[in-house]
Amino acid sequence: MVQIELVDFPKPWLLFDVMVGLSLVYMVIAFFRKWLGWGRGIVEAAAGPRDYKRSSMVWLNEVFFQRQLFALSFPRWLIHILIFYGFLGLALLPATAFILRATGYFALSNTLPYYYLHPEGYIFVKIWGDSFGLLLLVGLALASIRRFLLAEARQTSNQMDIMLLGLLLAVTLSGFVQEGLRLAPLPAEIVRYSYIGRLFSPPGTHTLEQLRPWLTACWTFHFLLVVTLIVYLPHSKLMHSLLAPVIIGLNAAEEYKREDLYWPDMKKYWETRSPQD
Amino acid sequence: MWCPVYAQDKREEITARGKIDSLRRFADGALTENRRKDFIDALYECSSCGQCHVVCPVRINTHELWEQARLSLVNAGIPQPAGQIKQLAAIKEFDNPLGKPRNERSRWAQVAWKAGLLKSPVPLWRERPAPVIYFSGCMASYEPTLQPIAVQSARLLQEAGVDFAILGEDEPCCMSKLRRMGDPTFPQEAQKRADQLARMGADTIVVSCAGCYKGLRSDYARFWPRPQKVVHFSQYLDQLIREGRIHLKRKTPLVVTYHDPCHLGRHNQVYDQPRRVLQSVPGVKLVEMPRHRAFSSCCGMGGGLKTVSPEIQHKMAEARVREAESIGAGAIVTPCQTCYLGLLNGVKAAGDSGMKILHLNELLVRSLCPDIAHESVDSAFARAAP
Repeated sequence: MVQIELVDFPKPWLLFDVMVGLSLVYMVIAFFRKWLGWGRGIVEAAAGPRDYKRSSMVWLNEVFFQRQLFALSFPRWLIHILIFYGFLGLALLPATAFILRATGYFALSNTLPYYYLHPEGYIFVKIWGDSFGLLLLVGLALASIRRFLLAEARQTSNQMDIMLLGLLLAVTLSGFVQEGLRLAPLPAEIVRYSYIGRLFSPPGTHTLEQLRPWLTACWTFHFLLVVTLIVYLPHSKLMHSLLAPVIIGLNAAEEYKREDLYWPDMKKYWETRSPQD
Repeated sequence: MWCPVYAQDKREEITARGKIDSLRRFADGALTENRRKDFIDALYECSSCGQCHVVCPVRINTHELWEQARLSLVNAGIPQPAGQIKQLAAIKEFDNPLGKPRNERSRWAQVAWKAGLLKSPVPLWRERPAPVIYFSGCMASYEPTLQPIAVQSARLLQEAGVDFAILGEDEPCCMSKLRRMGDPTFPQEAQKRADQLARMGADTIVVSCAGCYKGLRSDYARFWPRPQKVVHFSQYLDQLIREGRIHLKRKTPLVVTYHDPCHLGRHNQVYDQPRRVLQSVPGVKLVEMPRHRAFSSCCGMGGGLKTVSPEIQHKMAEARVREAESIGAGAIVTPCQTCYLGLLNGVKAAGDSGMKILHLNELLVRSLCPDIAHESVDSAFARAAP
């Protein structure tokens, strides 16, 4: 068992909790307001009986495996799946910390929060964070190449794409820079678990005392970027990460039987698909 | 590049994404005057082919959305383009988009019988009701280029021994163009026609126009007073062949490709039956175009696009002709009379193309009863012309 001491530095936790809490409340309100706007449309009942088991399978395939995208274009699928799981995995880290810290406030449980928030959980957290960060970083890099170098320019998406890709890249990179700073004063045997983060460590030898103000500043900057992302989310293209599963579920419940839409037979689909995309 | 209109007119407002973005801004009152005009133009410069529905990651029923948006605009006092208004007026006044008199609707059947193209006179429903109604649709009833399709359909039904009748001047326009172009009177007009057809009590309505098929089967779904069997002619042919009521013996050596009509394929999932019919014709070899079945590229004849922008339709059809050429097909076969017309425009636009455009019926009659091949019907009708 590796003996690890946490690299401790002052963190504005109160600011973190207030800002994250407020941004989440704002996100929910903004989402709800948009939902009310969409509700202005005409509601028509779906025809025919629904098969919830079959439509749930369609939903799982479409959301977690993104089957249609896989069949239409492997490069697009790869980019999408890297960003999707990278983002999901990374989002779970602070989300788990946020929830576990809250359980600590209310004295609900001791073991899991302790493991997660203290040195014993370090290796798990580092490997988890670095792995999903890497997925996200690669996905974002590929998306940027595809969007800005390979694909045709689209005026309706470029501004949103630049803003969103820029923000996601800033969040990911600032996370890794923060990680690199945190690793700088640690011995190599511990650093190796952060196999990506260590690449972002500043060169030379630094003491924790020297790095503390930088660590605090970088940590604050990183979470403020995350808060910005949460606030921007309902107005951004990233909204589809929340909406798409809902809409896929609603549409799949209506048209789950359509084999030309949901492709139960992948072999047939590969024979049918257009080579153009 | 999935949108077949965007492939010919590279304006982003035309794409599904562009239209939805504009629609959202329009609903919020945030569109500038110029963009408002672009949005309205783009909304009507769309053949409602439904390709965007198939490739949409969340499968938004986009063609329904465009039609509903057109209706909402009209309800808000923003009318359709002038060409569509004219066509809608003709449909409402004459019960057909060509503005032809109602009493000429069954003239094709009379001429065909007199010219010896049919085995027996085609009975009118009002004189002799039958279990099957053959619904030829406005275009095949009146349009000289398409009348052979109605004649061939009637003859094929006779060859199979089907007890059928036509409605003659009682045959209503299905009014589906009203729905396609966002006319608010569609529900009332459709209800009247559904009631009229249901009162006749036929077992099956066989429709040879893909647009009428979509109208009667999909658009009328909530208007039929009781369940009504509506089948497309290609489906009915498939059934007749499988029941052994049509025997195709004569060889027709031809390499053909099949063009899926949007209203039949993507909108109603009729993909396999017309292909089975094609493959049952001796000597015919079917090769598929790169874009086929759910990805079939639209010829541009739907959704009122041709009325608004004929040059775009011609380019779309030309692209389809070029696609067929790229796979070495000698002919494009389609079971839709509207696509048939549209693809003929494509051959003309291509100029140097020797591609043949054939209606599905044509292949069958060449194998079963070559005396009513398209040219024979054309010349018989030319002789009978007043």
